[in-house]
Amino acid sequence: MTLFLQFLFSGIMLGGIYGLIAVGIVLIVKGTKVFNFAHGDLAALGAYLFWGLLVQAQLNIGLSVVVMLIFAAILAVFLERFILRPMIGQPLLSTIMVTIGVGQIFAGIITLLWPGPGRTFPHIMPSGTFHVGPIALSLEALISFAICIVALICFYFLFQHTNIGLAMRGTAEDHQLAQSGGIQVTRIFAVCWFIGIMLASMGGILIGNLHQVDRPAVAHFVLKSFAVVIFGGLESIVGALIAGIFVGMLEILGAGYLDPLVGGGLGEIIPFVVLLTILLIKPYGLFGYKRIERV
Amino acid sequence: MSRRPCGTFDVSYEKDICVFRTPFHWIMLVVLLVLYLIVFPLLAEDGALSIMNMLYITIIATLGLNFLLGYCGQISLGHAIFVAVGGYITGIFMTHFGFSWWATLPLSLIGTAIVGLFFGLPSLRLKGFYIAMSTLASYFILVWIIMHGGAVTGGINGLPIDVPMIGSYEICSQRQFYYLIAAFLALAVFVAKSIARGRLGRIFIAIRDDDLAAEVMGINVFGYKLIAFAISSAYAGIAGSLFATYWGFISFEQFPFTDNIWYLGYVIVGGMGSIVGTIFGVFFLKLLGYFVMIVGPMIGSALPSIAGSVVSSMLLIFNGAVIVAFLIFEPRGLHHRWETIRSSMQIWPFTY
Repeated sequence: MTLFLQFLFSGIMLGGIYGLIAVGIVLIVKGTKVFNFAHGDLAALGAYLFWGLLVQAQLNIGLSVVVMLIFAAILAVFLERFILRPMIGQPLLSTIMVTIGVGQIFAGIITLLWPGPGRTFPHIMPSGTFHVGPIALSLEALISFAICIVALICFYFLFQHTNIGLAMRGTAEDHQLAQSGGIQVTRIFAVCWFIGIMLASMGGILIGNLHQVDRPAVAHFVLKSFAVVIFGGLESIVGALIAGIFVGMLEILGAGYLDPLVGGGLGEIIPFVVLLTILLIKPYGLFGYKRIERV
Repeated sequence: MSRRPCGTFDVSYEKDICVFRTPFHWIMLVVLLVLYLIVFPLLAEDGALSIMNMLYITIIATLGLNFLLGYCGQISLGHAIFVAVGGYITGIFMTHFGFSWWATLPLSLIGTAIVGLFFGLPSLRLKGFYIAMSTLASYFILVWIIMHGGAVTGGINGLPIDVPMIGSYEICSQRQFYYLIAAFLALAVFVAKSIARGRLGRIFIAIRDDDLAAEVMGINVFGYKLIAFAISSAYAGIAGSLFATYWGFISFEQFPFTDNIWYLGYVIVGGMGSIVGTIFGVFFLKLLGYFVMIVGPMIGSALPSIAGSVVSSMLLIFNGAVIVAFLIFEPRGLHHRWETIRSSMQIWPFTY
């Protein structure tokens, strides 16, 4: 029982980060109707950049965060203006492929600037273990989970209770209607990319802090969170968080109990098995819209 | 497609549907075959031959993806793993059951097609982006299965694979492999062209252009999507068998996730829904890759601080940049360029 609870809570902690990354993807899908396959490399880029600012440039955390925000804003405007705007009106495949191509470019830049094995963050969070009854939780994982939840609450407030959030929701409904209603849709696209990149970078930094800043590992983690996006429903922000925690629990529980039977590595594919199962039995996820097509 | 010199008319249906229509076409075909099968392999060194061998194997695999992506409009993010499955089927039957390489070919073709069919099943209810997701999942699940296959798949060590034999004659040098692979490529292109021109190709195009309209017209969309998955995987399987015997061993590490993106890049750069475009795409991107491998170390020696990673990172950057640039500036790919050049040559010296 203790083992079960231990796995359960570790899974929830992991699920928080899944949720954070998935919400970034969902926001970009909702706002711009583009599924961002470059999210993994964006997360890795954010993590490496933060590491570079902290360790190589010797900045303190506050200043690094400011630089990260400026970087995310520039990147978002650039991506929206030069890469994604020519893709408006193009077939679905083109938008998917262009994000994959952008992801490759980021991956190349990371490999060029920070070659070799992964990097380790300096101690930016207090380490130690935290005991709840018989369960031991790592303080870093707990703080990461708290950061995810706080970030998501802030984001939810922004989305539901501010003018820019209203504009984003309007854009998510219908681009042309929003444009007619006086919302500058291209600017909303850039804002969506900005928030998406920020959430991705936060996710990347948290993963990097818990394990190691390593591009393939971070990118793979984000690929796993695609399962979360599909499970929660492509357009649902709340769904992404719930599904994130669920997939995180499933991954840790499945890996914990089944790994000894099959020889390890199950945690790497459980989200993909979930993804395939969801696609087969409930393709639009928990809260996604069921699309009705008319010819 | 149907541009011909002035005054050439078809007087029978057979003439109307044939591929090679004019004497000039036949001359070009013969010239190309002579270059392809006689001149090049006799003149080329081992290095050039090995590059061509890899190129031809990649073209065979990409032809399969072109059916799925270019003709049928289903995005596959896991094509590389079907190549691996083909190679592993060959490897397993040769190592554990003592089959000859030739005997494993049909097994590899059928086996890979069945695996592809299975991972195409979500297309019953889904399309577009969701198919990309299911093929992405299939990649990681199949890699895990291969990795944990124990003695059957050799686990992380992979499987050694013997060279193919014709009677007691071993195919082992680069030149001998060139003839083997070139023969398979010619066959693959011929079959692909036939499928694409025939009923099946038309059905795939109908599904790609509008699946609902296709359904209304009486096409069993799900069934034909599965057939597209099967054909695509079967091509990958053959390419995998050739790949395995060419390298002499097979391991899942030969098929990293980036390969899936390379395959998509070949199809996009070449032009979706075109056989000749596929060949152009593979040549363009692969040769660009080899160019980077030659230029990279030079840049590395000029800038020693980044020397260690310059080739791998430049490969990624070039691949991504080429895909993005083609999607933005030339979405119809090299095939479209080729058609423009060809038609302007045919009506030369007039401008239209």
